[in-house]
Amino acid sequence: MKEKTKRTVAFYSMISPWFIMFLIFGLYPMIYGLYLSFTNYYGFNIKKLKWTGMHNYHRVFTDSDAMYSLGRTFYVTIINVPLGMAVALGLAMLLNRQVRGVGIYRTLFYLPSIVPAVASVIMWKFMFSSNGGVLNGILDFFGINPVNWLGYDYATTSLLIMLLWGAGGGVLINLAGLKGIPRDLYEAASIDGATAPQRTLRITLPLMTPVIFFNVIMGIIGSLQIGLQAILLSGSRLLDRPIQPNYLYFVHAFQQIFAFQRFAYGMALLWVLFLAILILTAIVFVTSRFWVHYETDQEG
Amino acid sequence: MKTETTVKGSIPLYVALILFSAIFVFPMYLAFVQALSAWNTTPGFVPVGFHPENFKYATTLIDFWNFTKNSVILCVISLLSVVSSGLGGYAFARIAAPGRNALFMIVLSTMMLPTIITQIPQYILFHKYGLIDTFWPWVFGGIGGSAFFIFLYRQFFAAIPKELEEAARIDGCSIFRTYWNIFLPMSIPIVATVTIMIFQGTWGDYLGPFMYLKQDHYPLATALSMISYKIEGNDKLILTSVSTAGAILLVVPVIITFFLGQRYIVEGIVTTGVKG
Repeated sequence: MKEKTKRTVAFYSMISPWFIMFLIFGLYPMIYGLYLSFTNYYGFNIKKLKWTGMHNYHRVFTDSDAMYSLGRTFYVTIINVPLGMAVALGLAMLLNRQVRGVGIYRTLFYLPSIVPAVASVIMWKFMFSSNGGVLNGILDFFGINPVNWLGYDYATTSLLIMLLWGAGGGVLINLAGLKGIPRDLYEAASIDGATAPQRTLRITLPLMTPVIFFNVIMGIIGSLQIGLQAILLSGSRLLDRPIQPNYLYFVHAFQQIFAFQRFAYGMALLWVLFLAILILTAIVFVTSRFWVHYETDQEG
Repeated sequence: MKTETTVKGSIPLYVALILFSAIFVFPMYLAFVQALSAWNTTPGFVPVGFHPENFKYATTLIDFWNFTKNSVILCVISLLSVVSSGLGGYAFARIAAPGRNALFMIVLSTMMLPTIITQIPQYILFHKYGLIDTFWPWVFGGIGGSAFFIFLYRQFFAAIPKELEEAARIDGCSIFRTYWNIFLPMSIPIVATVTIMIFQGTWGDYLGPFMYLKQDHYPLATALSMISYKIEGNDKLILTSVSTAGAILLVVPVIITFFLGQRYIVEGIVTTGVKG
């Protein structure tokens, strides 16, 4: 066999496990799901599906629960993504200084993000408890009246606080980015008399924008799919409705499918979510030209 | 720069680090307090009484060991992905073949795709072919690997010097043997990173099992999110101390594997440079 053929055969045989599974369990279900979203599938009529055109999609936009939950999801995303990134980047910048015992801090920041969601919800319930809970204890210390963290007014704030607690997972990625910034840039700036805040604003942030960009995209995709923590935080089971402000879009879709067997409608809901993700990431991509800084001589 | 940093100047830095560490650890500490407290006491900063037996109840009031066994089985099956993702990553990094770039674009775009878009139709398909309440979905998932891990492996393998392959080729090594005998042995950091991440991901996943399995086959994470700890004959009273103890037991293996692999995870992420 010729060298080139040999290489091609090796390449395709090595990626075939992934590729075959991708075709069967990725691409095919995706198309199948898209098809189902145009039918009247409700779980028992798979043999005689009826094409219903845009009916399910029309229903998404007239379903007040869907629209309400979509709004709440955008709200959570708009706060969660920038805040989570600021925390991860800020902590990474602290760790990037000459710190003794850096491994310990790194571990402590990272740990919450690997705690399984089920367990972290159980842990946070004690923080939020309105009866002797710790957050209320802290408020009390400052002379502020206790609030009902898991009640109507604060449920989303509580969810956001809990999500922020897991933001340390991004510290490692940010740290890797920070380590990639050449030190002599800072030295040159110091010699020119740049203060520490100036160095952060003019060197660190611009050079970190590719990492920030990556994190924004991944953050948006992740945030729009939040839902199960919201259910668990309300102290309910996966098929119960969480407290209203935390009735997020994913919860709505999940429950339409698994609690009410509305498969076709659920798929339409999810494809609308997918479109929302596409539109948001497209917006970030388009604006990235204006704020993501690529070093032109670092191509490759 | 180094000479600038005086002892006095670094005090705010350490204050900030210690403060943030405390915030991150605090909920875990509270969980411990609660797990050791007497049943149905209000949570506080110190345990009410000292009841380590809550941990024992956590394993006896529900079918704990059966759920744990299921978790272990799912994790072992999922580790197939360590091998298949590695093969894929190697091919994308080191073998020039027609169509490689286009296929790699597919890998990248599946990273961007929300998982739920395929999960529900997958559920419907598995249902159609009678694979619900079996572990087959995890076998298929394992064989298929994951886009993210293929990407990590690729970044790692791409950084290895070319001469290594050429030397192997001159010695008559086939492409597969070059991968197996030369590249894999030097890839411990990335293999360890991927192994730990897959373990943690599968161990903590509760949605997939909830969809594909019935209660007897639930892993621990799903069981804890679906089943409450109660005493027989009193359905109203949920034992929060015991369920917290259960949650802590769920976290322990995750923390242990993280400590064992910490060095590799950090090295793996920093050297592969997940920078977008």
